[in-house]
Amino acid sequence: MLDFFARNRVATLFGVTVLAFILIGIAAPGYLSLSTASVIMSNSLVLMTVGLGTMLVILTRNIDVSSGSVLGLSAVVLGLLLNNDVGLVPAIVICLICGALAGLFNGLLVTLFNVPSIIATLGTLGLFRGIMLILTGGKWIEELPQSLKFLAENGSIGISVLTVAVAIALAGVWAITRHTRFGRYFYAVGDNREAARHLGIRVHLVQISAFVAAGILAALAGIIFAAQIGFIPNQAGNGVELKAIAANVLGGVSLLGGSGSVPGVFVGVIFMTSIDSALVFLKIPAFWNDFIAGAVLLLVLLLDGRVRIAVEKAIRAKRYAVHAPAQTSNATPAPHTMRKTPATPQENAQ
Amino acid sequence: MERNINDATAVRVNDIWKSYGGTSVLKGVDITLLPGQVHALLGGNGAGKSTLMKSIAGLVNPESGSIEINGQTLSNASPAAAQALGLYLVPQEAHILPNQSVLENICLGLRATAKSLRGDIENLVADLAVKLDLDAQAATLEIADRQIVEILRGLIRKARVLILDEPTSALTPHEANALFDRVRQLQAQGVGIFFISHKLREIREICDVISVLRDGAIVLYGALDDYDDQQIVEAMTKAAVNSPLTTPQRRQNHQDFSASACVLELDQFSGEGFHDISFDVRAGEIVGLAGVVGAGRSELAETLFGLRPSSGGTVRLLGHELKKRTPRHCVDAGLVYLPEDRQQNGLFLEASLAWNMSGYTMHRLGFFPKSRRETGEFAEFREALGIKCESPGQPAGRLSGGNQQKVLLAKCLAANPRVLILDEPTRGVDVAARNDIYRLIHQLAEKGMGVLLISSDFDEIEQLADRVIVMAHGHQCGELSSHAINVDAIAHLAFESGAASHA
Repeated sequence: MLDFFARNRVATLFGVTVLAFILIGIAAPGYLSLSTASVIMSNSLVLMTVGLGTMLVILTRNIDVSSGSVLGLSAVVLGLLLNNDVGLVPAIVICLICGALAGLFNGLLVTLFNVPSIIATLGTLGLFRGIMLILTGGKWIEELPQSLKFLAENGSIGISVLTVAVAIALAGVWAITRHTRFGRYFYAVGDNREAARHLGIRVHLVQISAFVAAGILAALAGIIFAAQIGFIPNQAGNGVELKAIAANVLGGVSLLGGSGSVPGVFVGVIFMTSIDSALVFLKIPAFWNDFIAGAVLLLVLLLDGRVRIAVEKAIRAKRYAVHAPAQTSNATPAPHTMRKTPATPQENAQ
Repeated sequence: MERNINDATAVRVNDIWKSYGGTSVLKGVDITLLPGQVHALLGGNGAGKSTLMKSIAGLVNPESGSIEINGQTLSNASPAAAQALGLYLVPQEAHILPNQSVLENICLGLRATAKSLRGDIENLVADLAVKLDLDAQAATLEIADRQIVEILRGLIRKARVLILDEPTSALTPHEANALFDRVRQLQAQGVGIFFISHKLREIREICDVISVLRDGAIVLYGALDDYDDQQIVEAMTKAAVNSPLTTPQRRQNHQDFSASACVLELDQFSGEGFHDISFDVRAGEIVGLAGVVGAGRSELAETLFGLRPSSGGTVRLLGHELKKRTPRHCVDAGLVYLPEDRQQNGLFLEASLAWNMSGYTMHRLGFFPKSRRETGEFAEFREALGIKCESPGQPAGRLSGGNQQKVLLAKCLAANPRVLILDEPTRGVDVAARNDIYRLIHQLAEKGMGVLLISSDFDEIEQLADRVIVMAHGHQCGELSSHAINVDAIAHLAFESGAASHA
């Protein structure tokens, strides 16, 4: 049943995405091509990575709105290291550790200090952005080495090293949430924290793990960001956290925790990215982007809401139908049992 | 039992102290449980039973004292640590993960996979003679099924020590007996069991040893056979008991209500989970609606009160047809419903007691509700119902189960109803509070209120009801009045008819 619901949302969104592609394809021939697919894929990498981490946090019934700043901070750490002649591999490792530490800080605030996650991560959203600006002195980091930019270049089959890295991240998170006991704990903690604690699950550990994973993934997104555009502006990652949350909701991840899946986030992110690319292709002025993206988001959610209500109704009807036919078709036992009962004043009255 | 008893206590609690906000809840409690022993634990509301058991299960950290489980000290209390030592607490209020399947709910936290345990769980389900769809989403479970999930969690864990906190409060007698068989099997395997219950009959049936807690201290301990019911109840309530609390008096004279005015009348009423229900409730009469869990009684009540859609039939309240059924219309027309699940549907747990009391009458209070009047009214109910609380501003969630139930009753009565539907009014309520509630129900009926009492506790129905409607599988399958009302007759109807309609 749970699977059905989750898949149902993914299926709805998938259907809408395919339909949108077909319609745009008709309106603008040439849109449906491998090169478009390649563009959408590389454009979606940052959001995909951040969204994946956000999903893990939301599953545990928390929220992380600091991932944009974590992205910026770790990208800056990477850039500064690289421009000070640190090798690419150690720089990437340190950058990821930096993301993990930022996530750990969030996790500790939420668990040990019992700060509601929305407040804790709103605080660190500012804090991490501030640290980033202090590190750079407010300047952009430019002239990143070629070795980093190479990671974002498409190879012979149109796939970059970063695409492979994101694919591995997707597969990894999918395998963990879907097939490991620890992964199930994420769902359990989000579904009913008290129950999870009661069943002997280390709730704090699970919550901290989710934040740390989100931090690492945001740092990975920072690497992708830096590699793709070749420099690091001050506002790197600004607002990506809200987009990531929207993509999660679109992909069927419940903000109340306890339900959601990697395929859902995947489709949600692709959907949001393809809207952007389609608008470019349809030559709609860029200032329409936010309006259209918002409207489409609402439309999909409304549609999905309708579908859900219909499904729930069907389930209810099925559940209560158990009694109904037994009465009409099986009327014989009823008078038999009635006879056992003594006549009552009420029956006489009728 | 065959093991050396000296080093094989299942649980040994030594001088446990715990206080909340300055009031001591546990004052140096010692308690010991041997393997293969079923140890009854009794006590009134707020006596400290739950806190004691939660300390043993690692859910609460006591301030001082030590706890040993299977010979090992429980340090650094956490549920995980207690479970690692072989202990599981089956709580009174089931902890459910609504988005997961029933199977996942049972297996979560175990090392083995759900798939590999499926067979074992199916056997347990069959042993307990309950019906449970393991693949259903847990959110769809009724409250009784949720409790069964908790019990299954306890059984599947192969714990060496089990704590059962009122395990039968949502079970039918049939299911309860099946559970007791299971408990005896576990006992024979050397599992030690703490059994918390308010039903002395149950305790007599399966327990060996009894401890009674009062005000955070053990006031009675020994072999169960050494004490009679009166002694046990006196130990619980401290004050010498004048009225025999164990069996509250049944209404003496079975009046004939056929002459009284008809306050509630159902005709061929149908809805989700019940069909063609026709009966009436007269002024001053207590009509019991008996049946096993899942018979459609709560659905009927919720539909009457406008919480679910109906699919046919008519309802007449005080002689007028009740066409528009929303909770607000019902309350204004004089029909009030006390829901089964007080935590989920009954109380605003964070809100003050006075606010909770005006829950049904909020719309009558005007744009600026006068809190002084509310507090005054609450003081009256506090006195009348014997609600134990610190102040009217206290959050309802802090009260014990029995007192919460009394606040819920105050909420219903504040609306001044003519017909009161009570759905399991004494679920999870201790003996003393239960008797208060029984007495109150009698008083209300004597004042001319029509009471529809839904209960799975057939004893309760026998004690209170003037007339009984029995439901099974959504159908009305019988009616008993005056002297024909007894537990056996009700059970006979409820189970027989169920079996018949299944054939």
